[in-house]
Amino acid sequence: MKIFIYITYFFLISCSNSKIDLVEANATDIKNEINKFKGNKSVLVNYWATTCSPCIDEFPMIMDLSKRYKDHLKIFFVSTDWIEDKDNALEFLVSQNVEGLSFLKNQKDNDFINQTNQNWSGALPFTIVFGKKSGNVVDFWEAKASEKRFIRGIEIGINEGELNE
Amino acid sequence: MNKIFNLMIIFTLMTFLQSKELEIGSKIPLFAVKMDQVNGNPISLKDAMGKNGLIVIFSCNTCPWVLAWEDRYNVIYKKYKDKGFDMVAINSNQGTRNSGDSMSDMKKHAKKSKYEFSYTLDEGSKLANAFGASKTPHVYLFDSNARLVYKGAIDDNSRNPKKVEDHYLMDALDSMIEGKKIAQVSTKAIGCTIKYVDN
Repeated sequence: MKIFIYITYFFLISCSNSKIDLVEANATDIKNEINKFKGNKSVLVNYWATTCSPCIDEFPMIMDLSKRYKDHLKIFFVSTDWIEDKDNALEFLVSQNVEGLSFLKNQKDNDFINQTNQNWSGALPFTIVFGKKSGNVVDFWEAKASEKRFIRGIEIGINEGELNE
Repeated sequence: MNKIFNLMIIFTLMTFLQSKELEIGSKIPLFAVKMDQVNGNPISLKDAMGKNGLIVIFSCNTCPWVLAWEDRYNVIYKKYKDKGFDMVAINSNQGTRNSGDSMSDMKKHAKKSKYEFSYTLDEGSKLANAFGASKTPHVYLFDSNARLVYKGAIDDNSRNPKKVEDHYLMDALDSMIEGKKIAQVSTKAIGCTIKYVDN
């Protein structure tokens, strides 16, 4: 009986552990995670919020691209929802089948925005692409974008440093 | 060859973004252009100028960050009106006139939020374009010579006015009143993109 209880307990615990890890982070924390992929994969970071409808609109398309390009591209989502709305952000990410590490801004806007990218006004959504080879910013855009625009950015990131004949 | 082309795209993009927004010291663009406002009397930024300056806020009816900061709009307007500063909120969301940003929607919103200042409709997003404004809410503060002295956020906490540590806009206004240099002339905050009409 005891063994049964223990097995059930561990089973429930493992089920209740979401495949997603939503972590509060500042701009430096996020940069440190991005840097881990230098030389290995291009990284695309999408800044969004549950209250931003253009962000929600483009989300499924980005998830689809993350699957298509998974061998060469890592996608990170950064929620700029207020900390009090963390549960809403988590709920949305789960509904979109986001897995692994995801971020929730826990830094003041002005510092966060300037430390993320000097060219960003703070408008959502915002997307940055880091090159596979150098890990440097190779593309970025504000506002909701088409799949075509995303693919263009992703291919710049993935092909960085490659000679295209 | 492709690499060079890609770099060209990026640098062009960056130049475009960097040169776009109005710089500190610039004069108010399209100063005399009349805009329809919620009270029915067309008004230009020139008409709206206060004796000591003008607060321009690019705003709209639905952006969650506008709604969060809105409790401070009237507070700031009323505090600085008597000190010679007037205020205008501008709705430049030409792309969503049929989905929440029409004049009719603006009138309802201004009434509901009890706006005491002018709320104007920027037809064709002309002013937003001229200012290089990209988001709401976003403030441009001008002095009595119609020169830009501060741009950016109202303060550092959209969610909770009681937890504000840096009152960016009010500090700038107070500095102007005291004849002091504004410490922080440009700040940034999260907001919604201005809904320009798609090209």
